[in-house]
Amino acid sequence: MSWRHLRAIIRKEINHIMRDRMTFTLVMFTPVALLFLMAYALTVDIKHVPVAVLDYDRSSTSRAFAQRTTEGEDLDLYAVVDCLDEVENLLMHGEIKAALVINPAFESDLQSLRGVSLQVVIDGTEPESGGFAVEHIVGRAEEFVGELLADQMRALDVSLESLQPIDLRVRTLYNPGLKPRIDLVPGLISMVLGMPALSVALTLAHEREHGTLEQVMATPVGRAELLLGKMIPYIIVGLVNVIVIPILARLAFHIPFNGSFPLFFWLSALFLFAILSMGTIVGVFIHTQPAALALSFLVIFFPGFFLTGIFFPIASMPEMMRMEAMFLPGTHYAVITRGVFLPGVGLDVLWPYGVMLVGLGVAFTAVAALFFRKKLG
Amino acid sequence: MFKRVWSLVIKEFIHLIKDWWMPAFMLFGGTLELLLVGWATSRPITNLPLMVLDQDQSAASRAVVVALENTGTFALEAEAPDMPTIQDAMERGEINAAVVIPPDFDNELASPKGKPTLAILLNGAESIPATAALRAVQGVISDMGEGITLRRLGLSPGAFSGFDPSLRVWFNETLSEALYTTPAELGLMLEFTVLLFAALSFARERELGTLEQLLVMPFSSLEIIIGKAIPAVLVGFCDFVIMLSMIHFAFHVPIRGSLALLLVVAFGYLLVELGKGMVISVTSRTQHQAFMLVMMIGMVDFMFTGYAAPVESMPEVIQLVANVVPAYHWLTILRGILLKGAGLDVLWPNILALAALGLVIGTFSLRYVRRALD
Repeated sequence: MSWRHLRAIIRKEINHIMRDRMTFTLVMFTPVALLFLMAYALTVDIKHVPVAVLDYDRSSTSRAFAQRTTEGEDLDLYAVVDCLDEVENLLMHGEIKAALVINPAFESDLQSLRGVSLQVVIDGTEPESGGFAVEHIVGRAEEFVGELLADQMRALDVSLESLQPIDLRVRTLYNPGLKPRIDLVPGLISMVLGMPALSVALTLAHEREHGTLEQVMATPVGRAELLLGKMIPYIIVGLVNVIVIPILARLAFHIPFNGSFPLFFWLSALFLFAILSMGTIVGVFIHTQPAALALSFLVIFFPGFFLTGIFFPIASMPEMMRMEAMFLPGTHYAVITRGVFLPGVGLDVLWPYGVMLVGLGVAFTAVAALFFRKKLG
Repeated sequence: MFKRVWSLVIKEFIHLIKDWWMPAFMLFGGTLELLLVGWATSRPITNLPLMVLDQDQSAASRAVVVALENTGTFALEAEAPDMPTIQDAMERGEINAAVVIPPDFDNELASPKGKPTLAILLNGAESIPATAALRAVQGVISDMGEGITLRRLGLSPGAFSGFDPSLRVWFNETLSEALYTTPAELGLMLEFTVLLFAALSFARERELGTLEQLLVMPFSSLEIIIGKAIPAVLVGFCDFVIMLSMIHFAFHVPIRGSLALLLVVAFGYLLVELGKGMVISVTSRTQHQAFMLVMMIGMVDFMFTGYAAPVESMPEVIQLVANVVPAYHWLTILRGILLKGAGLDVLWPNILALAALGLVIGTFSLRYVRRALD
């Protein structure tokens, strides 16, 4: 490995990237832009869900309950209807996502402590909003029933409190409101920083397509030097994102950064090395850009999204998937990003993940360099 | 004209066969991914590592632990000797939750007016498993609490059962996750596949220098466009049919409405996305650039598919923008036909909007691409 050779390749790569300004801008800003789009789209607070009310009871109690339920920002009363057919019609047209159906005996059942006669109908095609409506309605119903029952309970000499005899004390560390955005944004960093890997795969395939790879190979530059030289400019691009993302995450989404930034920076460099090595493997095996694109999507982009434990806990996956997840750099890096952002842990906790990243990077680069010769020869 | 277009189509197919990775990815990559994603997202969250600090060591406290294990949500780690162990494990991200049972749990539970306490610690650094853990613990506690209340009041079990409102789910009676996630995933895969295919078409020829050759041949620009469009639409349509059969047979997503209508709309939608892809293609100088643009546009459209959050909950401005996003209308139509059995009478506004958008995007892209080629 010669530093001079490496530097020459890096300079050539940087020239390539800078020549095409548009592509350069896109490569530079795609990770940040993707992070923001996804963080926003995946964590919109659900509110203003349109609902209909079908009140068969028509008593003052049922009216008060319906009014209570649609107060506030969560549910919007879209219509008061007279029969189930109308509910179905509104659901079919997508005008409402849920309906509250109050049965005829609502008031009398409540007063005689027989229970609450109500039904919730939801649109199962979008359970996010439907499920939200159910939780909201049930919550309001419990409140409402609780208040109504309070008097009767007192007459029976039973305190309301005794209905929940166990005192459950919940303490949430690192993310007190359990807001998905707080941990998804650090998690998603591991996905968006994988984007430069696709670029590396593409540039390798590009050289293959244009036949310039043979020219480079005719120079005294070694295979590993060539691959590293291809990777380093993209590692730099990635590191610029590593600096920008925590700042923007804090400003736009109020994500805390509790750990050490230099530690995060260097561990990110290791991750970029590992994920870009994956990109070079794709580039080495594939000869055209569309094909390189297709394969990187299959082995880098989608698994980086679904198998790294950002959305679905790795512990819940079957054995085989868990094994596969261990070979994805994103799995280890997601632990690092979350650890540095939220609990703010240091190298004493994170070193095994750093070691894994180095191991994967070296292994992938070695495989790529090994097959590089065979493929060219 | 027909003969010349035909020869162009043949040329495109020769490209496809020579570079077989791309069409293979288009046809089966989406399907494979859909299978993986659909499978991954339709599983319950289980096996979350949980630590228990049982300071009571009584029959009652053990019953709590057994009840927690029986939910299936947790996998019990070794019992923790003290709080620092729990804190440490949580900091390392080794556990998602911990339960602390205080020493007087059993006594409080047995006394008629006692109020036993139970503490739970959640690892907020992973909010999705933490939320699942909280739900599971709350379920166990409310079941136990109900039992205690009934016993203390001397009531029969079932006295409170009437207080749960009943739930009816329309269009997805079993609340199967696959039913609402897979159609959106299908829509997204289809969009990415066609956009990518169309976007690479001219960008690739330009980068390789073969576009000039094509242009000096006696083809009109319209013929070249049609020649490029036919294979893209054909492959995209086959892709759609394969993915649709997959979600129907593997994930039991019903097709309650008219299949013919769905296929016609799918074909129209493909043409709209094709138009977008072609504009990207002629604006891009390299395939790399075309690809990056597709990523950005595809991810913006992703916001409007209702996959993660309903569009109704987004700010007004975004709701207005949604109306000019073809993917938004397409997903509404797709869900409507598959799950709701909706027909033209219900879906006409969306179909009309899609057609109007198609007309605008189609005209623009045709003129733009022709001008760029000439």
